[in-house]
Amino acid sequence: MDLLAATFAWLADPAHWQGPDGIPTRLEEHLAICAVSLLVAAALALPIGAFIGHTGRGALVAVNAANVGRAIPSYAVLVMVLPISLRLNPEYGLDIIPTFTAMTLLAIPPILVNTYAGLREVDPDLVEAARGMGMRERQVLLRVEAPIALPVILGGLRTAAVQVVATATLGAIVAYGGLGRYLIDGIARQEDDRLLAGVILVAGLALVTEAGFAIAARLLASPGLERTVEVRPYRELGEVPRPPDLAP
Amino acid sequence: MRLNRALALGASLLVLLGACATGGGSTQSPAASTAPSTAPSAAPATPSAPPPAIRIGSDGFYESKLMGEIYAQVLEANGYTVERNLGLGPRKVSAPALESGQIDLKPEYIGSGLGYYDKTKPTGDPAANAAELATILAAKGISVLGFTPAQDTNAFVVRKETADQYGLKTMSDLTAVADKLTWGLPPECATNPLCAGALKDAYGIDVAAQKVKALAACDAPIAEALQNKAVDVAELCSTQPAIAQFGFVLLEDDKRTQPAENIAPLVRDDYLAKVDKAAFSKLLDDVSAKMTTAELTRLGVEVAVDNKDIKDVATAWLKATSP
Repeated sequence: MDLLAATFAWLADPAHWQGPDGIPTRLEEHLAICAVSLLVAAALALPIGAFIGHTGRGALVAVNAANVGRAIPSYAVLVMVLPISLRLNPEYGLDIIPTFTAMTLLAIPPILVNTYAGLREVDPDLVEAARGMGMRERQVLLRVEAPIALPVILGGLRTAAVQVVATATLGAIVAYGGLGRYLIDGIARQEDDRLLAGVILVAGLALVTEAGFAIAARLLASPGLERTVEVRPYRELGEVPRPPDLAP
Repeated sequence: MRLNRALALGASLLVLLGACATGGGSTQSPAASTAPSTAPSAAPATPSAPPPAIRIGSDGFYESKLMGEIYAQVLEANGYTVERNLGLGPRKVSAPALESGQIDLKPEYIGSGLGYYDKTKPTGDPAANAAELATILAAKGISVLGFTPAQDTNAFVVRKETADQYGLKTMSDLTAVADKLTWGLPPECATNPLCAGALKDAYGIDVAAQKVKALAACDAPIAEALQNKAVDVAELCSTQPAIAQFGFVLLEDDKRTQPAENIAPLVRDDYLAKVDKAAFSKLLDDVSAKMTTAELTRLGVEVAVDNKDIKDVATAWLKATSP
């Protein structure tokens, strides 16, 4: 209980809310690396996932490659990238490039696999009907398959985002900032309040991310998909209500 | 705690097994396996009789093993029989092994070795550390022989070109150019009296005002960062192979802020009582005196980077340094 009290005291200390090691700065750094990694991962994984999901071609290779990617720990990526990136660019090769690379590789598999799976799950009759209506392939993908698969695709993005938010803490090992700083520094300095405060902040951010994507999924998903549409009783055309003053 | 005990127990068993297995064939085995911590009452051996076998242990990492091997080979070359128990594990295992008489000799860092018994005692003065350690160990029936000039302590290191550019030789030289450099410092530096504290108090460098990249000291990433110019000054260990590998310049800690970590053999008094103590000590002191920080770093490259056998590295070094 002492530790918990100390942690909340740490979090409440105004000194920890300002300056280069303050919570706002660390949060900003954390969000920046997460957002950029997610955007790049999405830019890579969404088109590939859409292509293989729509055509069914290369699915085996892509999905297996993604799953192998899932098996490589981000820490290993970090350590493997570091010597190469340092050589390429001393200024960003130490902290930003390894963290960004590890986080992008972490985010690709869930996005890719869910995009593929979401598109595959679309009822083939609908796709056939769309083609029968004369839609081009691009239109079939964007107007029929994508909207129906959207909740699954967003689920992949959500998984990726939560994983990245939690794992970007590793960047602190290679001198990156972000909320991981509190974890690494807390351990190194044997300051348990700093460490636990970092844990709470990261967990909180992960929950907020999760909630944010859940809300986005509700707002963006086509109303025809999961929610049942209210069916109004059919009325005869002639039964137009009359104004009260015209009543006999 | 439980794990440490298990480790200690396991290591003790191994040592015992080793002693039993090798003791059988040797004629000196009764002398070598006398009960631990008996008073040094045995009479010195007569010059004609071969000296009793000595059991040499070391900590688990390569540098400690290498020093143990070097001492072992020096003694073997002078007619001693050596039983090697190198690489016992951390100090929590190796120190009790020496105290309880499971080994007779182990190389020790005089700063950390002293800190093991009393955290407040280590200083930047090697002679003071050695004397203090000798006082503490005398009560346990252990002698501290002469220490090496070589030190394995935390140290600040720069690339050669940086050293040339600003004329850096000592830590004091850093004070004037501190603002121009990017610092690679461990995450705990800000609160560590031996890091930020020492830099501020002894050298007038305020770490909080510098451009700092937080990287664990003595680790591979910080050495790579220094080599690739992501940082300009880094906290490494003074015998870290990267220093020799990449030709870094080790800045002399001229104000002696870091605990002196020279290496000295610790020997049990009950063993010394069985041999010609003066001759024994001279053998090891002479070899210790030749081991400098630069030499030890170079040997570290051979062992840890080139993956050469510790025995071969020790043999080659002894051959090269003996007249």
